[in-house]
Amino acid sequence: MGSFLEILIFLGLLALGYFAGHYFERKHYKSIRLRESQTLHIPLITVGAKPPWPNAKEAKLFIGGVVISTDYFKTISAGLRNLVGGRVMAYETLLDRGRREALLRMKEQAIEWGATQILNVRLETASIWGAEGKQSVGSVEVIAYGTGIKE
Amino acid sequence: MKYTPKLIPEGINVTPQPPLIDFGYLIVTIVLISALIFFSLGWIAEWLAIKISAATESKIGQILISSTMPALSSSVLLADPRLDYLQENLLPTLAGETQPPLTVHLLDDDMINAAILPGGHILVWTGLLKAVQSENELAFVLAHEVAHFKHRDPLRMLGRSLVMLSLLTVLGTGVNQEMAGLPSLVSQTGELIGLQYSRQQEQAADEEALSNVIQHYGHGGQALDFFKRLAEQEPQRGRELTISRYFSTHPPTIERLAQLAQLAKVRGWTMTGAITPLPRW
Repeated sequence: MGSFLEILIFLGLLALGYFAGHYFERKHYKSIRLRESQTLHIPLITVGAKPPWPNAKEAKLFIGGVVISTDYFKTISAGLRNLVGGRVMAYETLLDRGRREALLRMKEQAIEWGATQILNVRLETASIWGAEGKQSVGSVEVIAYGTGIKE
Repeated sequence: MKYTPKLIPEGINVTPQPPLIDFGYLIVTIVLISALIFFSLGWIAEWLAIKISAATESKIGQILISSTMPALSSSVLLADPRLDYLQENLLPTLAGETQPPLTVHLLDDDMINAAILPGGHILVWTGLLKAVQSENELAFVLAHEVAHFKHRDPLRMLGRSLVMLSLLTVLGTGVNQEMAGLPSLVSQTGELIGLQYSRQQEQAADEEALSNVIQHYGHGGQALDFFKRLAEQEPQRGRELTISRYFSTHPPTIERLAQLAQLAKVRGWTMTGAITPLPRW
């Protein structure tokens, strides 16, 4: 009886993770695509100090950060993947969303300020874990930063 | 250089594959591989376990019994006429001289069950002694456990449980914290597989037990009466806790009785005869 209940809870969480995770992911991607096309006119440039700088009147640092959590389905899926190895497809969308959202947040702030270009764009990732224990939840933080300039 | 706004195409950093397909593939692969590992290791463990010498089996039995007994110590009966009767009268007639020697442990509890541990340690619960109505019935149950001992079934089971335990330890520590839900799932299925003798082992033990009892009493009468009574109670196994204990470690009684009746017919055994009463205690 106890083990049956445990299996039922496990399957319930798995279904919750799958359906809720799927729903929020679709919603997030829809928003990302829309905002990406809205902010497309501002170039993001990754080159650093070597090439000649554009003639900038003003410059400012912009940071966009986002923390995205995995869902139960992705966690179990990736856990199984840990046993056999290979591409962890379950986490690919998670990181993709993180990177694009972080870039968008940086870009949106820069546009509001009046930037014409964002130079020297960098991305950083950190994993955030819950308390050390059995049921810890994995989240990923992605930060995008760059120098916005007004020409 | 002129900047031309352009959207990055999708599907470069994300594999365009539904997550459920990936998940299904993983589950099937892992289940197949673990089943393969479990059964091949279990088979090897059994093969090695039955090669253990009688002296080593005796040592293993000592370790097992000294680790099991403290948990049951409150119910172990050390000086009891029933224990003397089982150990001195009934057991020698059924088993003769064995290596390692058989030892009966009598446990004071209403549970109707008997079991055998490696090293020839037979556990008998007093509930069983109250439930049987003749010596023939008791002899068959005891002979069944003796047959398990002679087939070295407890050793095979020990080998298999060791494999199970080591696999679970590997899974429990090798897999990181994310897998919290899975190990308990695996261990529970493990318990179900690990703690039962196979149907074939049970049937072989039944057959040897019956032939043993017939050799001793000259007939198989009354030997199966205990099981016939159990079979009548079988449909309500959920309600009778003390009785259901026996079913949880043994296959369905009706099937066993049918197989034994068939065997008696084939071998031409006499299945009726005089009753041997239990001594007064």
